[in-house]
Amino acid sequence: MNAIADKYAEDGVASVFLYTNEAHPAERYPHLVSMEQKFRHAAALRDELGVSRPILVDALDGACHRAYGSMPNMTWIFNRAGQAIYKSDWTDANSVDNALEYYLDISRRRKDRETLAPFTVQRLDYRNADRLAFFNGLTLNGRQAVDDFIKAFGPPPSAFRWQDQDSADDAD
Amino acid sequence: MTSDLLRQYNYDEFVPEKFMPWMRFDESPELGVAAPDFPLWRLGADRAQTSLKEWWSENLYLVVEFGSFT
Repeated sequence: MNAIADKYAEDGVASVFLYTNEAHPAERYPHLVSMEQKFRHAAALRDELGVSRPILVDALDGACHRAYGSMPNMTWIFNRAGQAIYKSDWTDANSVDNALEYYLDISRRRKDRETLAPFTVQRLDYRNADRLAFFNGLTLNGRQAVDDFIKAFGPPPSAFRWQDQDSADDAD
Repeated sequence: MTSDLLRQYNYDEFVPEKFMPWMRFDESPELGVAAPDFPLWRLGADRAQTSLKEWWSENLYLVVEFGSFT
């Protein structure tokens, strides 16, 4: 998603990351109890996971996140009029790339004075679902995140090996 | 803002009875109508208050990825 942000930055497309609740809380990044802690976790997202887009932090009660459906990793696109024009219950860079190409073409057609009318389309997109990579990502959170996920959705791929991460974060 | 809401939204373990109630994409805002706006805070030295509106009104399009470290 960082690459998508860079790709379209010169076309008038801004990209931000909106920090929500912790989807898979664990020892290193436990559930949130304060805004101070939420800012610290957001900083770790920037510094450890390399999110280079501006990060906006939601209120501790997730007012914005909850209003938009509170999915753990969704993406929305808005136009300048403040209308949502794309919403996806999961984030996939290919899907967002495809949508932005389409909307930038709409902007070009508008500049050419083509008469356009909106309509709604539903489409099923497909994302990469590398379960081993997902489990490896969970290890960054702490052992609890792996154990909770296994209890909820079953065992990891046989190639998965638990690797302990460095020291625990912070609960306030 | 109630303490119950804060505790339930910021659940402490990923178990279905705690995370499933928040999966409400089917109740999310419709496309093509005025989207709800909320105060947000920038990660940075000043933690300045901002909002979705401030961002979408200054750009042709605004991409918002929701998520967390975990």
